Formats: sequence, C-alpha cells, structure tokens
Amino acid sequence: MTLVQVIVSGLLLGAVYALFSSGLTLIWGMMNVVNFAHGDFVMLGMYTAVVIWTALGGGPFAAVPAAAIVIATLGVLSYFLLVRHIMRGPMLAQILGTFGLALFLRYAAFWTFGADFKTLPDTLIGGSFTLGGIRFEGSRVLAGVGGLLITLLLHLILTRTSVGSRMLAVSEDATAAQLMGIRPQRMQALAWAMAGAATGIAGALIATFFYTSPTVGETLAILAFVTVSFGGFGSVLGALVAGLIIGVVESLSAYLIGPVYKDVVVYVLFVLVLWFRPQGLMGKA
Amino acid sequence: MLIDARNVTKAFGAFKAVDDASVTVEEGDILGLIGPNGAGKSTFFNCLTGDLPVTSGTVSFAGNDVTRLPPEARAKLGLARTFQVPLTFESMSVLDNATIGALLRHPNARDARARARDVLQRVGLGHLTDAPAKSLGTPGRKRLEIARALASEPKALLLDEAMAGLTPTEVREAIELVRRIHGGGITIVIVEHIMEVIVSLAQRVVVFHQGREIARGTPREVTSNPAVIEAYLGRRKVQHGAHL
Amino acid sequence: MKRYLFPGVVLVLAYPLLAAGYPVWERLGALVLLAAIGASAWNIVGGYAGQVSVGHAVFFGFGAYSAVVVYTHLGWPPIAGAPIGMLLSVAVAAVIGVPTLRLSGHYFSMATIAVAELVRVLSSTSEFLGGAQGLTGPAMPRTVFDLSFLSATPFYYIFLAVLAFLLGLTWWIERGRMGFYLRAIKDSERAARSLGVSAGRYKLYAYMLSGAFTSLAGSLYLCMFGFVDPESGFGILISVKMVVMAALGGAGQLFGPLVGALILVPLEELSNSYLGGRGAGLTFVVYGAIIVIIARFLPSGLLSLFERRSAKPAAKSEIASGHAD
Ligand SMILES: Nc1ncnc2c1ncn2[C@@H]1O[C@H](COP(=O)(O)OP(=O)(O)O)[C@@H](O)[C@H]1O
Ligand SMILES: [Mg+2]
Repeated sequence: MTLVQVIVSGLLLGAVYALFSSGLTLIWGMMNVVNFAHGDFVMLGMYTAVVIWTALGGGPFAAVPAAAIVIATLGVLSYFLLVRHIMRGPMLAQILGTFGLALFLRYAAFWTFGADFKTLPDTLIGGSFTLGGIRFEGSRVLAGVGGLLITLLLHLILTRTSVGSRMLAVSEDATAAQLMGIRPQRMQALAWAMAGAATGIAGALIATFFYTSPTVGETLAILAFVTVSFGGFGSVLGALVAGLIIGVVESLSAYLIGPVYKDVVVYVLFVLVLWFRPQGLMGKA
Repeated sequence: MLIDARNVTKAFGAFKAVDDASVTVEEGDILGLIGPNGAGKSTFFNCLTGDLPVTSGTVSFAGNDVTRLPPEARAKLGLARTFQVPLTFESMSVLDNATIGALLRHPNARDARARARDVLQRVGLGHLTDAPAKSLGTPGRKRLEIARALASEPKALLLDEAMAGLTPTEVREAIELVRRIHGGGITIVIVEHIMEVIVSLAQRVVVFHQGREIARGTPREVTSNPAVIEAYLGRRKVQHGAHL
Repeated sequence: MKRYLFPGVVLVLAYPLLAAGYPVWERLGALVLLAAIGASAWNIVGGYAGQVSVGHAVFFGFGAYSAVVVYTHLGWPPIAGAPIGMLLSVAVAAVIGVPTLRLSGHYFSMATIAVAELVRVLSSTSEFLGGAQGLTGPAMPRTVFDLSFLSATPFYYIFLAVLAFLLGLTWWIERGRMGFYLRAIKDSERAARSLGVSAGRYKLYAYMLSGAFTSLAGSLYLCMFGFVDPESGFGILISVKMVVMAALGGAGQLFGPLVGALILVPLEELSNSYLGGRGAGLTFVVYGAIIVIIARFLPSGLLSLFERRSAKPAAKSEIASGHAD
C-alpha cells in the first residue's frame, strides 16, 4: 500500500513539475530561446500568490488568477523589451540577457521581501484525507490536479485551436507565416503571455506546499530544464509525460534508496535520455 | 575508378530520396548529374561525402571503401564538395574561410594562409581577401565555397548547383573556372540546372528522377532521350522550388 | 587594441602598490584575476569552439576539492592538489565530453548543467569530500607552500602569472591550426568537417584543455579561501558566472573574459563589502540590469565596440550583390 502512496504523491508532484516546465518548453520550441529567468518567473508567481493571499487577504481564488496575470505581463514585457532583440543573436546573448533578467528579478524580490522563507497559511487546504487507504494532503492534491488540468489545457490550446496553429506556423517559418497574414511578433508575444500565465499559476500552486524565498527559482529552474530536455523541446505533452515520470522517479527513489539520492537518480536518467534520444522523449528529431 | 558508388539507397522514413543508384567516376572525368528538383541529387552527394549515412549500398573513393567513414575522413582522402546553400564561416574573413581548407594539407597556419591567398586569386576573389565573409552575396559565397574546397587540394570536387543564381556573364566565368580547375587535374562531378553548363562542361551525364537513374550518356544523348524530356517537362513549373 | 597593451601591462603589474593598505582593494585585484582565469579557461571551449558549457563548475569543483583533499587526507599543502585536479579534470572532461559534445546548441548546455548538478548532489553525499559541510584547508600556515598570506598581494601575483600563461597559451592556439578549426566548428560544423576538420576530436581537445585550467582556477580558489562545499565548488552559479563574464567582455576573444571579470567582480565585491545585507540586494538588481542592457545592445560583448570601429568596411563588389540566406 505504501508503494502506491509513494507513486500517487510522485504523480501529484510531477503534474506541478509539468506545469511549471510547460512555459519553458513553449518558449524554447516556439523561438529556440532558453529562458534562464524561468525559475525566477515561478518564484515571482509564488510571491504574488503569497502577497495576494495573506497580506491582501485575497485567499486562493484571487491569488491564482493574480499570479497568472502578473507573470503573463512580466513575460510580455520581457519579450518586447529584451527577448525580441536577442533571439536572433548569438546563443550566448540569450544566456547573458535572460540570466541578467534572472538576477534582476531575484534580487528585486530579495530587496523587497527579504531573504526569509514565507509560507502560506494552512487553514483552507492544509488538511489531509484518506481515500482507499491512501493519504492525500489537500494542498498537494490541489496543486497536482490543477497542474495536470492546466498543462492539458495549454496542450489543447496549442494543438486544437486556430491560435495554436498560427503559433505553430510562426515557430516553423516566421517569414512564411507572415506571408499568410499572421503577425509573428504578436504570436510570439502571445506565447510569452501564455507561458507566463502557466508559470504564474504553477508558482501559486507550488506556494501552497513549498517555502517561498528569493532563491527558490534556481532549484526550480534546473528541474524545469531537465523536464523540458527530457520531454523534448517545444512539446507540452512531452513536458507533461516527463514531469510525471520525474515526479514518480523522485518519490520512488527517495522511498527505496533514500531522499538524498532522488536527484542523483533523476540526473542520471536525464543524462541517459540525452545519450540515447538527444531530441528528448517526445521531441521531433 | 576514382569514385564508385554501388546500389546506393537513402531512405528518409519510408521515402527513398535515392533509390539504388550506381555511379562511377573515372579519374579526370567531368561527370554531370542532372534531374528535376527533388530528384535526389543533393542527397546522393551527401551519401558520397558522408554527410548522410547510406541506407544500403557502398561507396568507395580512390580505392578505399569509405561507406562507413565520416565526412572529414573522406575529405582527407581527397574528396571535396560545395553546398547547394552555402555554409560560409560567417564570423571569418574571406581569407580565413579559404585558410580552413588549406590547413588540411598545410598544418602550419602561415603556409596555409599563403596557399589560401593563391587559391582566392585563382578563383577571382583576390580583391576581397580581407573582407568579412558575411559581406558576400550569394554568388560570392558560392565562389568562396569553391575556393575553400580547392584549398584542401582534393582529387575530386563535387559541385552542387554552384552556378545557381548567377548572371549569364558570371555563369560563363564560372564555366571557365571549372575548366581551369579540371585542367589542374581535379576530377569533377557537377550538379547543375542550367543545361548549357552541362553541355559545355560534362563528358558524361547521369540523369536522376525521383531518386532513380533514368538515363546516362553524353550530354547530346541524354537531352534527346524521351524519358528525360518527359521528366523535365513534367516538372517545368517547379524549376526553382525548394532545395535541400 | 595594441596601443592599450603597454599602459595596461604597467597598470596591472603596479596595481598592488596602488591598492597597498586598502585590504578590500588588494583582495579585489586578486579576485578579478581569479575570475578571469576561470572565464578565460571556459572561453577556450565556450567562446572559441562555441560549445556553450553551463556546467564548468564540475572542473572548478574538482580543482578545489583536489586541493583540499590532499590536505585533509594526506596532509600535503593544498596547492599540491592542483596538478592532480587538472589531470582528473582532463579525464572527467573526456568522460563527459564524448557523449555530450555530440549534442548541439541548447541541448549541450542543458546536458552540462545536468552533469554538474549530478556531481554537486553526489559530492554532498560523499563523506570523503566532507558531505554538505564541505572541507576546510589548513587553519594555520605550516610552511610557505600552504600559501597562507596576510595580504592578498601574493595571490595577486600568483594569479597574474597563471592568467598570463593561460592567455599566452590561448593566443598561441588561436593563431595556429587548432584556433582556426575551433572557429570553423563554431561557425558551421558541417562545412568544417567537409574540409577535413575532425570536429569531434577538436571539440574534445578544447573541452579537456578548458577543463584542466578551470580546475586550476578551482585549486587556486581553495588556496586563497581555504574552504569549499558542494555549492561553492559545483554550484550552478559558478558555471553561469564563467559564461556571463566571457560573454559580457566578448566570448571567443582573448581578452573578453578579463574585461568581463573587470566589470562584474568589482560590482559584486564592492557591493558586498560596502553595502551588505539588503543593500547588496539592490546592487545585484543593478548588476542584473547592466547585464541585460549589454545583452540587449551589445550582444557580442563589450569588446565588439572596439572591433566595430577597426573592422574593414564590408567590401561591396560585383559579386557581393544580393544577399544569401
Ligand atoms: N533530411 C531530409 N529528410 C527528409 N527528406 C529529405 C531530406 N533531405 C532531402 N529530402 C527529400 O529528398 C528528396 C530529394 O531531395 P534533394 O536530394 O535535395 O533533391 P535535389 O538536390 O535533386 O533537388 C526531396 O523530396 C527532399 O524533400
Ligand atoms: Mg539539390
């Protein structure tokens, strides 16, 4: 029974990984840009949630949309002020620019909120319940289910709607798309908005069970990089599958080998995937 | 026999871009390879040079079985090429581009540079040696591709549409250039759309269509071959479509 | 550039005299040089060959840990661990490089991050390496070989000598066949291979050489600071700083990493020592903003300012008409 418990909590965690990685993969796939500030976007989503929830007393139903809006705005601003200009330059300019943005955001948060950890109050979703012999923590269930639904939604928007196919057209050939009457910049800005919204929501969901601090983004960013490379760049579905796999592998190895080794197992797995399938599990060759 | 490709097949998934092609090139030949767009000419070149692994078949060069060798090993044996869409070393000067080729036989950078200068002079880029390569237009880049390949002092040179996009005057100059290169003892395989180029240069021609060889012979023979005319006429409208 | 060389050299040699009596500034000089060694080492593979490793902390950490391990477990002076670290790093570079250098672009970067993180996590579980607490070098200097000095000035000159050697070596490589080949690989690996360049081999050589000198930077770091833990040895920030410094000054240029270090290290150090606490947060906000602005307006680094002025105008001629793509 405990093994099932471990797998279920791994899946719930993995769904959140999937959600906060899906923004990164969307941008990577759509314009071949790796956003080194992605983890700090998540971090700001967490802070937005904390501020709205506690300081302003908004509770979760205000906190989640607020985080989505704030980070979507941040994404669009980053696109117009920075990314648009560096995406055609050398790859190093991308790393330089987005890492500079990461530092900027991280220390702006540090300056504003201080270094100490913030956590959300336990009251609303802090409890746990048992179902079929498995114990569920309310906050984790909320985060996991929310992560799963929103990642799926993002996937459906990208694959099933006309906006999605226009975005795909831009990512495949911006010039050709332009000839078909699509405005590439608008689509790319939209991608940053969607990625930002997903990232913001992920931040708000993570804040329900994880400590919030200015440097939390660094850890999360590495996880997102691994998830995205694992799933194949540009593939939200790939990120979902990879996120779930990583979540389960983490909790299984923490349970079977020991908590310190969970990252080791994930990184080894990642290196193996890169070796045998450099384009990721679901990526295009 | 300098180049001997036997039963070369290259499949992308289920699609055979090159289907059981056998082509031999004697030392000192100028072989023309023609066919409508998408016939598999560039893919065949890539199989000869090792840019793409063959799905089946064998390639030998200068008496060595090179089927499993990487492109750099084939280049060392004396097989040089140009790319249909030029792959210029963008951050370098014209001279440095050619120097990369020359370094293959002249490991000392100073010697290689001197060789590269010579070659640039010969192909008519002498006045541009110090210009940044990225300032060149397509014709200049195509010529630089030839210079770079020549600088590696090859036995055979594969030219993939090296004259596409040139003005008629430039084409005549380029034909002269290829003649001179050939006169210097280099075997040539040339892919070209412009029939005049093939007629005035090639001694033998192989015609590809949909990945298969449909005719071979002298330029005169193949241009009057009904199958060839059919293949070309059927595709007239897409003469300048997408390339590899 | 040339006319700045002589006054530059004089200034560099005399800097400790100018800073004498101001420990913050004495230390700063040494730290700039140390950072420049790391970033210049990275530059060989990341800048010249264009293989953007974001996991060079692996080598830095191996160097730092080698130095402290020979002290902890053998009682040797830490600097004796430097050559061991360099040899180990060459071996490790081969092990990491053979599989990862096949990957291109962002995938290579991501793979190097993952490998570095793997090593960081492993190091924190290793008792031999002191676990998460890390290891400390000699508390008291036993002999002069322990390199424990009251002022940072001796370190300054040691680092300067190493940097000079490294830049000399890089300069020599840059002008020879390998330098040409690395740049060709960076521009178009496919074209380079068609011209007989064994791209895989040259990338690996560059990676191993780069790893060896990054490791040396790690050993020197340990000699000066006397302490290393998984984060300060193998942390991702160590890797990213090397990339950012080189890119800021100009990656693939001899003095690019040094220029980057000259800007970023003082920004970081002076804010730490004069502001501290939350104030340092504000300075890092500025630091981040400066990096963003440079990436936005000078994507090829600060040195491209000079290059642009001295570059020959793009020659237009009869064959330089249309534009290729
Ligand atoms: N890497 C590839 N993947 C899939 N199909 C390819 C690839 N390269 C070429 N093709 C296809 O193979 C066919 C032959 O292409 P190519 O050799 O470029 O023709 P040619 O040079 O004769 O114009 C074309 O239909 C092209 O679309
Ligand atoms: Mg072709």
